[in-house]
Amino acid sequence: MTTSAKSKSKASSTPASEILFGPKPASGEKLLPRYSKHVRILHWVTAVTWAILFITGLFLFVPVFGGAARGGISTLLHHFAAIVVVCWAAGFFVFNLKGSIEGIKFAFKWGMADFNWLKAAPAYYFFGKEEKMPPQDHMNTGQKLWWLIVLGCGALMVITGALMMIFKGIIPQAVFMWAATFHAVGMVALFAMALVHVYLSVFHPKMRGIFWSMVNGMVSAHYAEGHHKKWYDEMMHHQKETKGKK
Amino acid sequence: MAGQAILYDATKCIGCRGCQVACKEWNDLKGEKTTNRGTIENPPDLSADTWLKMQYFETGDVQNLHWLFGRRSCMHCTESACVNVCPTGALYHHEMGFVAYNKSKCSGCGYCVEACPFDIPRTSGSVVGIRHATKCVLCQDRVTNGNIPACVKTCPTGALVYGGRDEMVAKGKARVSQIKSKYPNAVLYGEDELGGLHVLYVLQDTPSVYGLPENPKLPISSTVWQDIVRPIGWAAAGAVVLGLGLNYVIAQRKIKLKSKGE
Repeated sequence: MTTSAKSKSKASSTPASEILFGPKPASGEKLLPRYSKHVRILHWVTAVTWAILFITGLFLFVPVFGGAARGGISTLLHHFAAIVVVCWAAGFFVFNLKGSIEGIKFAFKWGMADFNWLKAAPAYYFFGKEEKMPPQDHMNTGQKLWWLIVLGCGALMVITGALMMIFKGIIPQAVFMWAATFHAVGMVALFAMALVHVYLSVFHPKMRGIFWSMVNGMVSAHYAEGHHKKWYDEMMHHQKETKGKK
Repeated sequence: MAGQAILYDATKCIGCRGCQVACKEWNDLKGEKTTNRGTIENPPDLSADTWLKMQYFETGDVQNLHWLFGRRSCMHCTESACVNVCPTGALYHHEMGFVAYNKSKCSGCGYCVEACPFDIPRTSGSVVGIRHATKCVLCQDRVTNGNIPACVKTCPTGALVYGGRDEMVAKGKARVSQIKSKYPNAVLYGEDELGGLHVLYVLQDTPSVYGLPENPKLPISSTVWQDIVRPIGWAAAGAVVLGLGLNYVIAQRKIKLKSKGE
């Protein structure tokens, strides 16, 4: 009786944000730093601008929404959001040169472990079977895949977008038309993968709550051990070393 | 083929540009300030305020000089690239055969400008992006109310006529065979081009002399975008949503059961 009353009161005190995005790590849990402040800001600037770009772009992709694009206000917004995100990402790259290059290199580094991960992933994501999942680094194979798509499609969108926005009238008609076509292809690919990204980080039962790591920058050590064993071991090793030096 | 059409007979044209003026008057288009370029042809190009423009070509040599008149405006294609690429449906095929335009739907993206094989549509407006497309709409407001287009109405020599397309094609063909002895290169332009144009030209020389493409084609990209990328986009997004939904249902049950069992 008392326990059920307690759990009830606990449930009712859960803030709406945790009901939507999953539970935050419990207080007192050991946390590891995962995302720096600059990475988190870049993430959310990208998230907001991409949402704007996607919605205003959709006006031109779905004829039913065409009316929302009339007069070109949405085009203006689209151009503005594009400039903001490109400048922000470029600024991040320049001011965090070492980390950015390392991160990009990492996405292109693929080994046997990655292929084994891909093989084991369906059983893991559908049925929670962890046995065959190889230990993962700071970025797991799925995250690397997403990162590759963001980099590849991002470059495609920037190039084709710049062709249409800046070089309209200068480039031949055919180039413009193909740029528009590939801009749409990139949109489809990015949108589909962004859905997967949002779903996994917010709704999947195995990762529920990980959303908060992109807000607070911290991840529970328990989660890190389960999902990023290699990185976790490194962190532990590093912590021991620094402690030993002290 | 059904629908209405304009027939322009270059051999009856006197290059008075009455049509150009009538177009501006009826459609309430501003005059443009231009400079003397040493030719009667003016303004230099089509624009948001010039939907119809007469062209002047000099061919032959001093002994045998030809001064040819050409007409430059929307050709109202049956297979029209602009309608294909228009993302919002602002450009569409009217049941009377011409390519109609609904300004209130236009986003000003300018895809039509780049897709048109005749380089006709233009966008108006500022550089910042707020703009809309413009082109000849065959006096949509006049012809749907039983009148003839303004350019045809004003033409003093009968070089421009308007009527059922079949009738116009027959008329044009008859005229070509009439003038063939004097102008061996004479052709009727627009009978079969791009599925049949709804603006037909009787030309006294080959189309290229008039700056017209001999064999206009739909750009492949104009069909790829709408007919391939769009449905694939829908399919891909749908498959992903479906897959994620399936995953949610299965993972929610299986993984929760497992953690309870542990």
